[in-house]
Amino acid sequence: MSTTTSTLPPEFQDNMESIRIMGFWIFLTTDLVLFGSLFAVYVVFRSLVGLGPTPHQLFVIGPVLTETLILLTSSFTCSLSLYSARINRVPGAIAWLIVTLGLGMSFVLLEIHEFASDVLNGHTWHQSAFLSAFFTLVGTHGGHVSVGVGWAIMLAIQIGLKGLTLTTRRKLYAFALYWHFLDIVWIFIFTVVYLSGIA
Amino acid sequence: MDHEHPRRPQAPTGHGDEVELALLQPKMHATQFPSLQITGYILALVLTLLAFGMVAYHWVPVPSLIPIILVLAFIQGALQMGIFMHLREGRGTTWHLPVLALALFVGLGIVGFSIWIMMFKSGVS
Repeated sequence: MSTTTSTLPPEFQDNMESIRIMGFWIFLTTDLVLFGSLFAVYVVFRSLVGLGPTPHQLFVIGPVLTETLILLTSSFTCSLSLYSARINRVPGAIAWLIVTLGLGMSFVLLEIHEFASDVLNGHTWHQSAFLSAFFTLVGTHGGHVSVGVGWAIMLAIQIGLKGLTLTTRRKLYAFALYWHFLDIVWIFIFTVVYLSGIA
Repeated sequence: MDHEHPRRPQAPTGHGDEVELALLQPKMHATQFPSLQITGYILALVLTLLAFGMVAYHWVPVPSLIPIILVLAFIQGALQMGIFMHLREGRGTTWHLPVLALALFVGLGIVGFSIWIMMFKSGVS
């Protein structure tokens, strides 16, 4: 079923677009350093709870598991969008992109709900070093996902207007890289923050 | 330099970015059905639920729990990289592999050394 063809994807045939994809990898590198720093801060501060709640008292794992499954699924639908683009199906590429951003939105809403209920219970990030590190790390990831949703909306409109040109293919490829990167970061947040917190 | 290289049909030409290792030769998998993506999705789900089950239902003893779920996270991260981020696709590999290695080196260095240095705190104070 799997055949290796001799042609490269269009976005890689063009030298300039290849360089732009390379540039996006460099951006992801700096982003990885950002998240690495925030993970280090979290791991160092997670036991400094002061008078606030411990991770075990704070986390409700049910919604977090839902968020994780939503993000994993959106990563999958994002790869299907790129797959559709590769076999030149414009409606498929747009439809899977819309599914992806819908899932991304519901992820962000669930996270906002989690943060809001923490704050309403008095657990703001002023309360302890653990809460500061927690809100900064998870909030930075949530901010990235929100930006990704906005990006996907604009990308879907652009593909709808212009079709699959060299430029829109490269943009879709870069978006897919960004989205999968955020998924990987979330896997580590799920493991290091939430699962380790309730273990 | 360039004129010494035999030209491969799918290699980008003339810009000094020719791929020299057979392993990293440009390739793209065109399939009738997104079987690779579906495989990656199922594997990700299995790994996630496995880690969740270990914590929620106490499938493994507590001391070995954290290392095991961390290893599961790294396996899943590598899977996502390989399958969804198309690491072996296009002519990207030789371009972005050094950047990726640098990122992992710096990222893991920050995390690892922060944890390591903080382990001394209890001894000092």
